[in-house]
Amino acid sequence: MLLSFKHLATLTLVLFVAFSASVHLATAEEGTTHTVAIKAFKFDPPSLNVKAGDKITWINEDLAPHTATAKDKSWDTGRLKKGQSKTIEVTADFSLDYFCRFHPNMKAALQLEP
Amino acid sequence: MKKLFAAVFGLFFASTLSASADSPADLNDLEIAHVAYTADNIDIRYAHLALAISGNADVRAFAQTMIQDHEAVNAQALALLAKLGANAQNNFLSQTLNANAEKLIDEMSQLRGDDFDRFYAENELGYHEAVNDLVENTFIPNIDNAEVKALFEAGLEIFKVHQGHAEMMVAKLKGM
Repeated sequence: MLLSFKHLATLTLVLFVAFSASVHLATAEEGTTHTVAIKAFKFDPPSLNVKAGDKITWINEDLAPHTATAKDKSWDTGRLKKGQSKTIEVTADFSLDYFCRFHPNMKAALQLEP
Repeated sequence: MKKLFAAVFGLFFASTLSASADSPADLNDLEIAHVAYTADNIDIRYAHLALAISGNADVRAFAQTMIQDHEAVNAQALALLAKLGANAQNNFLSQTLNANAEKLIDEMSQLRGDDFDRFYAENELGYHEAVNDLVENTFIPNIDNAEVKALFEAGLEIFKVHQGHAEMMVAKLKGM
């Protein structure tokens, strides 16, 4: 069955919109994913350069449960048992200093790059 | 109060040691595991008492941390014993720790408010100092099994952090 010109044009437009949307989504998801290990009661690395749109994955390698929690409490991985991880996306207004709620001496910081 | 606790703890140890031919350095791996499991459970009991009595946010947060960290260590210890097909062995030192804890829990249960918070914090500091010293200088050098030794080393790392946390809590409560 042959498609009419009108149908063909509509199909082309739909495909173009779909393709554009997928490109846009891919662009939005292009941020880097960083990994921070929690081991020996330290965040490793203790300092990390990130950009808005990046993702950070915290992995707890310690026997004791930990959290990564913003100093102003605006974000929180929640309780991470040994082997558990949590990924959080960095936003433009992301709070940069963080600590472990259970072990307040454990502190680290992010640097937000433009 | 910390010195008082250390003195009581020390005297209790001394009296037990003098009445028995046993010493902590003579314990085998399974007896050492029992002592550690007992010491963990005692600190968990102290923490539950703190949650029942204290209204201080810092004290309550510390107590919650003690419960979850010591439970994590105990779970790992039980898993390792199961893997090794062994059971921890009760011994004089576990019994001494339990008897001492009963007295302290009775004493702490009578306290309220700042009096409880300060006693709990100073007891936590003294308790972790004493147990950490025992683990680091007596238990770890004498443990034969490599996996048990590794677990004690991991545990010691945690308990030293607790000791530092307790020091902060004691200092903060003194300033209030």
